[in-house]
Amino acid sequence: MADPIDSALDLLRRLNPKDVKANVDHLISLNPDLTEDLLESVDIPLAVRKCSKTKRDFLCCDYNRDGDSWRSPWSNEFEPTLEDGEGVTPSDRIRKMEVKANEAFDVYRELYFEGGISSVYLWDMDDGFAGCVLLKKAVNPTPKSSGSWDSIHVFDAQDRARTAHYKLTSTVILSLGTDSAELGGLDLSGNMVRQIEQDLAVDDDTSHVANIGKLVEDMELKMRNLLQEVYFGKAKDVVGDLRSIPPLSQTNRDRATQREMLSSIGR
Amino acid sequence: MSKAAALSSFVQSTPPGELADVTKAIKSILGNDSVQNELEPAFQTYNEEQFSTTKLPGSSNEVLVSPYNSLGDGVYYDVESQSSFKFDHATQKASNVQTYALESNHSDVVKSLVKSLGTHATEHYPKSSIGVYPVEDDSQLAIITVASKYSPSNFWNGRWRSQYIYTPSSGSMTGAIKVDVHYYEDGNVRLLTNKEVSLSVGSAAKAPEIIRKIADVERKYQEDLNKAFGSLSEGAFKSLRRQLPITRQKIEWEKISGYRLGQDIGGGRTR
Repeated sequence: MADPIDSALDLLRRLNPKDVKANVDHLISLNPDLTEDLLESVDIPLAVRKCSKTKRDFLCCDYNRDGDSWRSPWSNEFEPTLEDGEGVTPSDRIRKMEVKANEAFDVYRELYFEGGISSVYLWDMDDGFAGCVLLKKAVNPTPKSSGSWDSIHVFDAQDRARTAHYKLTSTVILSLGTDSAELGGLDLSGNMVRQIEQDLAVDDDTSHVANIGKLVEDMELKMRNLLQEVYFGKAKDVVGDLRSIPPLSQTNRDRATQREMLSSIGR
Repeated sequence: MSKAAALSSFVQSTPPGELADVTKAIKSILGNDSVQNELEPAFQTYNEEQFSTTKLPGSSNEVLVSPYNSLGDGVYYDVESQSSFKFDHATQKASNVQTYALESNHSDVVKSLVKSLGTHATEHYPKSSIGVYPVEDDSQLAIITVASKYSPSNFWNGRWRSQYIYTPSSGSMTGAIKVDVHYYEDGNVRLLTNKEVSLSVGSAAKAPEIIRKIADVERKYQEDLNKAFGSLSEGAFKSLRRQLPITRQKIEWEKISGYRLGQDIGGGRTR
């Protein structure tokens, strides 16, 4: 029998992606041994909290969590306040970089998303550092349609002489829906995952922020194109494979005529 | 939520053609095979709701199962081949095929509807199964079409279902069209639609007329659906994230700190 965690991930790849959070909860109650692996490896839509110090919203994931509290990237403090102790925060050097990265991705967020929320979290590693860049936006362009975008970019950077080796895993969770009398209900939801590895030059910690910025920017451009293709190209094509608007006898006749023409040209 | 409820929610959410995969995963997660019996009621609900199809032994045509052609105890009937069969809800295989003669005051209408619906389905669905069954004490007719296409090697599967309940005495017809598409290469994307339909065909309507109404409503729906892909792409999707910033240039990350000074952009408080 397959490893239960592999089976759980396979199951989550099949069940309605819209229910991923509920399904993870069910899986944990069915097999509590899977708890840690599932929380670590399954991306769910990001929760939002308000930083009480700066009054700014920030995003929550497993990487800024300590028990039932989450660290704000704006204040470096946990919300709600941890009852026992201070919680894990990055070293001074990494926190400085984290502040810069949050400023940079705040600009990125405004330029690409024109709204929404961003948060960057970094943490120390033995041979460098690691982090995640989170972005979230929701829209209601018309009363009858809605959409939400969550990107979760998790990376690590291994220091080498004058360069760093970056490994990036990106997930975008995209949910779109409409509900109207004419069309009825339509929900088009899901997530896609991509990975890359790259070596980039590093002069100082500022280069790290710029390098991660470029990697995430390129990745999101690629993923946006991919999502466009899958959500609006592939899904529509499959519907066309299930049902044909023109009568199939006509389509088949047209194809036969075309074949005949082609073969007569060939002769 | 109880274990049984959690398991049946998994089964209900199974994409077209992936019931065996979902069952296999559930068994592995629980670490036991004996869960099969517990899953049986969920399998039945799923198969009847999805109009699961199966080949009758010795035949190449696929027949469907639904709440409307159930004879109880896992036995279903098919009008066209005039047979009944036992359906295994876990394996989706048919056995014990027997002759079955439909007894209904509407059996002539049923037969001509089967014929017209069959012709229509062949014209518009590359691969489909259909059924027409008397329901509600022979006072109504259920008219079903299901078209599935599975391409697991390309990581997608899809299903189109339409069901209508026609009341001969009033000539009214209500129903629903549902599309379910799953795409799962490097991800998990699902399209789920549900369109309620209400039609009036007249109480003396002949089968071809009834099917023409169905054909019209289904064609219109597919056209609307195609348009909806376009408007979601141009609407909600575009307003979530731009392809490039308004300057049409990628960010100059080395100069990122200057962006804040040069352009008066908001500080994350906008939504």
